[in-house]
Amino acid sequence: MNGSIHPTLLVSAALFALGAIGFLTRRNLILMILSAEMMLHGVGLAMVTFGQIHNNNEGQIFTIFVLTVAACEAGLALALILSLYHRTKSLDMDLWSALREDDMPSPVGDDSTRGPVEIDKRPVPPILTPAGLPLDPKTPLQPTRSSHEETATHV
Amino acid sequence: MSDYAQLILWLIPGAPLIAAGFIALFGKLFMGERSHVPCVAALAVAFACSLALLVSIVPGTFHEHHPEGASFEGNDGQQYTQVDEEQVISPTKGAVALGYEWLDIGTMQVRIDLRADAISAIMLAMVTGVSLLVAIFASGYMHGDPGYARFFAAVSLFVFSMCMLVLSGNFVQLFMFWEAVGLCSYLLIGFWFKKPSAAAAKKAFVINRIGDFGLLSGVFLIWKTFGSVDFQTVLFNAEAIAKANVDHPGTLPLICLLLFIGAMGKSAQFPLHVWLPDAMEGPTPVSALIHAATMVTAGVYLVARSTPLFMYAPNVQLFVSAIGATTALISALIALTQYDLKRVMAYSTVSQLGFMFMALGAAAAGPKVATFAVMAAMFHLFTHAYFKALLFLASGSVMHSMGDVIDMRRFSGLRHALPVTHWTFLCGALALAGFPLMAGFWSKDDILVALGNGMQSEHKTFFTVIFAVAVLTALLTAFYTFRAYFMTFWGPEKFPEEALQPHGHGAHDDHGHGHAVSHDPHATPDHAHGEARPHDAPPAMAWPLRILAVCAVGIGFVGPLHLFGNYFERTPGLPDAAPHGLHLGPMLMSVVIALTGIALAYKFYVKSPEIPAGLAIKLRPLFGLSQGKFFFDEIFTAILVAPLRIIATLCALFDKFVLDGVVDSFGALPRFMSQAPRRLHGGLTPAYATTMLIAVLGCIVCVMQLFAGQ
Amino acid sequence: MSWIQQNWPLLLPLVLGAIGVWLLMPGKRAIRPLGGLAALGALALGFQLVAGGKDIHGAMYVVISTFCLIAAVLMITSRNPVYGALWFALVTLCVCGLFLLQSAPFLAAASIIVYAGAIIVTFLFVMMLAQQSGASNYDQSSRQPFVASVIAFTLLGMLLITFQSWGVQHAKIQNDPLQAIATSPPTPATTSETRTVHAFSRPVGQEQIGELRGLGRALFSDFLFSVEIAGTLLLIASIGAIALAPRRAQGTL
Repeated sequence: MNGSIHPTLLVSAALFALGAIGFLTRRNLILMILSAEMMLHGVGLAMVTFGQIHNNNEGQIFTIFVLTVAACEAGLALALILSLYHRTKSLDMDLWSALREDDMPSPVGDDSTRGPVEIDKRPVPPILTPAGLPLDPKTPLQPTRSSHEETATHV
Repeated sequence: MSDYAQLILWLIPGAPLIAAGFIALFGKLFMGERSHVPCVAALAVAFACSLALLVSIVPGTFHEHHPEGASFEGNDGQQYTQVDEEQVISPTKGAVALGYEWLDIGTMQVRIDLRADAISAIMLAMVTGVSLLVAIFASGYMHGDPGYARFFAAVSLFVFSMCMLVLSGNFVQLFMFWEAVGLCSYLLIGFWFKKPSAAAAKKAFVINRIGDFGLLSGVFLIWKTFGSVDFQTVLFNAEAIAKANVDHPGTLPLICLLLFIGAMGKSAQFPLHVWLPDAMEGPTPVSALIHAATMVTAGVYLVARSTPLFMYAPNVQLFVSAIGATTALISALIALTQYDLKRVMAYSTVSQLGFMFMALGAAAAGPKVATFAVMAAMFHLFTHAYFKALLFLASGSVMHSMGDVIDMRRFSGLRHALPVTHWTFLCGALALAGFPLMAGFWSKDDILVALGNGMQSEHKTFFTVIFAVAVLTALLTAFYTFRAYFMTFWGPEKFPEEALQPHGHGAHDDHGHGHAVSHDPHATPDHAHGEARPHDAPPAMAWPLRILAVCAVGIGFVGPLHLFGNYFERTPGLPDAAPHGLHLGPMLMSVVIALTGIALAYKFYVKSPEIPAGLAIKLRPLFGLSQGKFFFDEIFTAILVAPLRIIATLCALFDKFVLDGVVDSFGALPRFMSQAPRRLHGGLTPAYATTMLIAVLGCIVCVMQLFAGQ
Repeated sequence: MSWIQQNWPLLLPLVLGAIGVWLLMPGKRAIRPLGGLAALGALALGFQLVAGGKDIHGAMYVVISTFCLIAAVLMITSRNPVYGALWFALVTLCVCGLFLLQSAPFLAAASIIVYAGAIIVTFLFVMMLAQQSGASNYDQSSRQPFVASVIAFTLLGMLLITFQSWGVQHAKIQNDPLQAIATSPPTPATTSETRTVHAFSRPVGQEQIGELRGLGRALFSDFLFSVEIAGTLLLIASIGAIALAPRRAQGTL
């Protein structure tokens, strides 16, 4: 703690950079949106810090507006994600690559070259029951590993 | 008076234009077989207005030989501009209906005005009258054609353009409608555009371009020399012309030459005459109206109209005469051996146009006889329009009855089967041959007199030759006209099989026509063989023929009675004419020539038909030359078309391999350069975001560099 | 070279951090613990760069920041999006803690309500509806992790250099910038003229910065128009979200 960088500014810059990495590398639509929100966190933190340093409220007020915009963005992003999901039944961003040149390979095809999919061995996270569906005793709500693998290979 | 003049002047071209638009818009859908009604009605209106114009434009001066107003005042141009506001009809100024200012480019001001004087009034009366009769004829002739409405729309448009051409008050407007009549001619020659021979329309259009180039250059030169294109300042201002002749020596002959080249194209003069015979591919009424009576005479009209300029270019006038004589002789020689009735008439038209130019050139004999020479040409134009339209329509009637067969070897002796056609054709043939007291007799006589006047000037030798050619051509004319007449209407009765088929009345005919036949008393005298015999013209075709026959016989009397001459001399810009009377010497010679030609034809084709065959064998090379139309088409193909085709092929190769290569390489360069960056376009959103982040990095570096200095 | 020698305290944690994040990203690499170590090392070295007192204030900074950054790294590297969302909730909480330390209590509360209370829960719902079968293979791989890490850490480095030079300048003016900022009494606005001309929302009178009264006064006087615009924006966004959301049969997604 002997440098000259304001500690909150360091955190804000790091959050921004990490959010950028997340946005660039992750293929899950929701994680991309969350990464973008994290970048907004970094910006808001920096502005609050600047407001503190300059001794006025403008930084905080600006962050309030950023918060507003972030809320709007989250709502719209969720609607968009649902729309996209409706089309492909998947949250994979790589499925949406219609902008590419005609002779470029489809990025989705890359999965086959990546070798066998590494399956997360951790416990399955809680699954929400679809509302309004009658409970069918033959198909338990808790998915089994086999069905898990089936969907995992099927993208 | 002013409103009246405005009204009739605007109605003359306006009525056909409205009819053309109306038929073009609604004809096909709503009018069908009644499409000719607006056209005929509009032409009747135009004809009535033309007659009204004719009698009102030079009121009360028919019987005065030297009215004061006929001489032209040099400063009339200024008077004209002063009285622009109120329209005045007077002998010298004619009638002017103001239109609007069309072009105003720098010093060039072009107005669309209607301007009528004596020569325009004569032309208008002739154009609208003949086109009215032709339109009535066509309503019968074109019956059942799928393009019925299109035909009448085009005819109406043509009459509008022709009237505007004649009514033009300046050279630019004249050129515009000169092109418009060419367009209508193109549309109507290619009327049956599915026939391969409709390519004649293209030929006519292309050859006319040569002439139009000359005319356009002439108009440019006129504008450069006079600073105006208005007739009032260019043609009717004698002082201005004299001044221009002094200021720009040699320009006036050049202008005249260029104008004459324009006239050569439109009026089918040697060597640009090759399009007119081929133009007969169009419907016969079109041939009668456009390619015999009206449009092709536009060149004669132009030269006659430009007489004040030609007065300063006697050499060009001699050239005009020479070209006219060459054309007349060559076409007459070609016409001798043709078997296609319409082609005989087409070459006859070319030949008669040559006559008119001969007469126009005779104006070189001097100012005293110049007006008479121009008058003779216009008079021949006037009479020729009637009898040649008659001959074409009668040929069309023959063709109609013979099931579209026009080869004279395949039918003969039709005078009993087609009595109306026979008598009217005979009237036209007599008029064309120059039989005494017929229309052609008087006008041809006037031309011979004009050429005789030329023989008494300093160009004695030249005009002697021209005169001899004219006499020879007149003889040939009488001969080939009656050759066609005798071959068609005399001899043993013979019909082609197309004519005998019950419904085979031509490609454009349908059974509705056969219905009309049964009501025609002239068509089938013997009803027992009604289906087996060709029928004569139905009333819609017969009555125009009869009226035109009366004209062909009687219209010539306006010449010897000095009606035409005295009227025509009111045309502004023409020099004072010497009084002229009947010339018994040339008249006698004309009679002898005509009778000789007719007698020869009678001898050859009725009395002893073996003579022509024997002559054809004896004079095989000459016969072949005439039969092959002097091989002008082949010569042109060899010396003009083939080299151009080679050049065009080379250009096409150059374009394909050199120009396209250069252009393609310009396209290939960015394509090559984009090979690397296009890999970035994988279509993945995060990839674009990466690029964006790199750019943000660059921006931050720049900002840091900026602030590092502080 | 001399520049690198001079700035190695800054460069070393950046390089370590980039390597650590790269190794931690989901993919074929099985050396995630190594990546985690590198990232932690980078974090420890990074804290050597910051200025701060050795009091309770500074300690809280360090603790909260450490949690925040660890949670952020785990969020972007988690193979299960549900865990990712939970880590993001932790990031949000830590950021709110930093807001509190920066004397922005209202913002801290608002952020918790908006993010942790609304956004993350909604995202979790969507995720659970969409991925009922759990992890899918597109969560098991990442796209160009190396390039992304390099770019992002270059960006971070540039930002830090800027902050560093700014902090050095600030330190020249006031010996201890952080202390000066944290403890100095708010400069009261001398006249209303300077307040309106130089800064919109400087605390007036005895107000503290970040105090709810001053914030509300600034929002609803100086930024009233912007507040209205923001409200309109929210309305439009909600309408847009409803319009965009796919129509579906009942009980299905």
